[in-house]
Amino acid sequence: MKSALRSTPLLMILPSLGLAMFVIGYPIVDLAWTSLHEVSRFGQLRDFAGLYNFTDVFGEPLFYESLWRTIIWTVAVVGGTLLISLPVALVLNDDFIGRSLARVIIMLPWAISLTMTAVVWRWGLNGRAGLLNATLMDLHVIAEPIEWLATAPLAFTAEILIGILVSIPFTTTIFLGGLSSLPQDSYEASVVDGATGWDQFRYITLPLMKPFINIAIVLNVIYVFNSLPIIWVMTEGGPANGTDILVTYLYKLAFRFGQLGKASAISLIMFGVLLIFTALYVVMVMRAETDSTVDGEHKDDDVAA
Amino acid sequence: MMMSRLKKSILYWVLLSPLMIVILFPFGLMFVTAVRPRDELFVYPPRWTFSEFHWGNFVDMWGKTNFGGALLNSLYVSVSSTALALVLSIPAAYALSRHRFRGKGSYRNFLLMTQMMSPIVLVLGLFRLMVQFGLVNNLNSLVLTYAAFNMAFTIWMLQSYFNTIPRELEEASWMDGANHFVSLTKIFLPLAVPAMVVTGIFSFINSWNEFVLALTMIRSTENYTLPVQIFAQVAGRYQIEWHHVMAGTVLATVPVAIVFSWLQRYLIRGMALGAVK
Repeated sequence: MKSALRSTPLLMILPSLGLAMFVIGYPIVDLAWTSLHEVSRFGQLRDFAGLYNFTDVFGEPLFYESLWRTIIWTVAVVGGTLLISLPVALVLNDDFIGRSLARVIIMLPWAISLTMTAVVWRWGLNGRAGLLNATLMDLHVIAEPIEWLATAPLAFTAEILIGILVSIPFTTTIFLGGLSSLPQDSYEASVVDGATGWDQFRYITLPLMKPFINIAIVLNVIYVFNSLPIIWVMTEGGPANGTDILVTYLYKLAFRFGQLGKASAISLIMFGVLLIFTALYVVMVMRAETDSTVDGEHKDDDVAA
Repeated sequence: MMMSRLKKSILYWVLLSPLMIVILFPFGLMFVTAVRPRDELFVYPPRWTFSEFHWGNFVDMWGKTNFGGALLNSLYVSVSSTALALVLSIPAAYALSRHRFRGKGSYRNFLLMTQMMSPIVLVLGLFRLMVQFGLVNNLNSLVLTYAAFNMAFTIWMLQSYFNTIPRELEEASWMDGANHFVSLTKIFLPLAVPAMVVTGIFSFINSWNEFVLALTMIRSTENYTLPVQIFAQVAGRYQIEWHHVMAGTVLATVPVAIVFSWLQRYLIRGMALGAVK
């Protein structure tokens, strides 16, 4: 009876572990194995090729261009998202008339699939009849319609801005979670000491929010770095590969050009990058947990209640 | 300096308004295009206004595209994958919440890893996996993969809510002679229903919105889910029927957006509790 009880928790986690191993674990192994082989267009593994697929990828200029754009894409989207989300969270955390409505509106992009958002924006940015042009012309910002998606730099900029827009709700949510856990008494004490709003932000809010900002950075880097729909739907990496990032390049290699060896090599490289950031995240989460237990149990209870 | 509540509210709304306009822009765009007469789509100069509301676009779109079929496919995939994810997550979350066991820490880290794994990095491996099992172009390939990718999130959410259900209730029922199974099904699970519903809805929305795997696994029009169906109407086409596309996005997104808006505060709470921390 006792041993049966002890094994119960393991039996309870086993089914979930099984499915995750099957759907997430196995493909990683398969990709690693595939990347070491010559692969036919139809996915048959031929001879063992060692690291040939990797050297092949590293010899490709398009790989470096996509890599460079991936870095720009990730840094710009994550940076822009943080710069907007922190003040938005500070405002939404304060009490004001119509706050719940404001929260609902700010969170809206999260509810919509990235695909749909990108489709709608693709239409909105249409050079001939797009209503962004209509709006800007009504406001006399521009005199002629602009072909937003016809040239790579402009299209890529538009995609980055949309990337920021759809990342704001999630990031704001993390910050709101963080802000709600800040100790109220420090603020009251600082008011007694004559601190201004800016002082409070600089010396209390920002330092205490640091763990949440770090988490927001890491999670956003992971999500943005891997995000295909916006670029795929709006420009498919074009014009002339000018908006290709690693994921779109990978997707084209795998499912358009049938270069499965190279595609699996890139998948593996990306998996490595992802692993580094995930490890970083795991360390942060564990640190946050030890911190909160050191601070005392009552804080956890507060949040849970 | 104390500001009156009214002044502060006005200031905040003014500060938030640029962002809100950009957020609401696509929604406005969707609506005015979905109800616009077809021959007013491409007018020069482009303008927001149009001559009359053309509600017939929706009926038209339903008849001419495979919207109804894609809707059913999306419903099937989202409901089944959510059910599967919940069935597997509930015991796991319960174990994490109530038991200490060897390997708990590693299991939690493993979950974190799977939560961070993005389908796009694995998409080629997943495709090869589904080829082996003959599941390419089969909606069940999506049910399995969505359930697996949603599981980490559902386990976190459920665990954090389970932690708030007092242990004493179950212990009391053991005193009364109930065994663990009875206390679990009669006492614990009924209390956990709201948590399961909320978690299930978020898992449903995730599946409903997923694009990359559906684009890859599903090869024929009649098996398309909604995001792929809408994408197929704009991708690589010379003539895009934008009023149909926008009518489709309105129908596919608005119900989900309403449910999401209604439940988003639970997400904020879940985030604060466990999904992120």
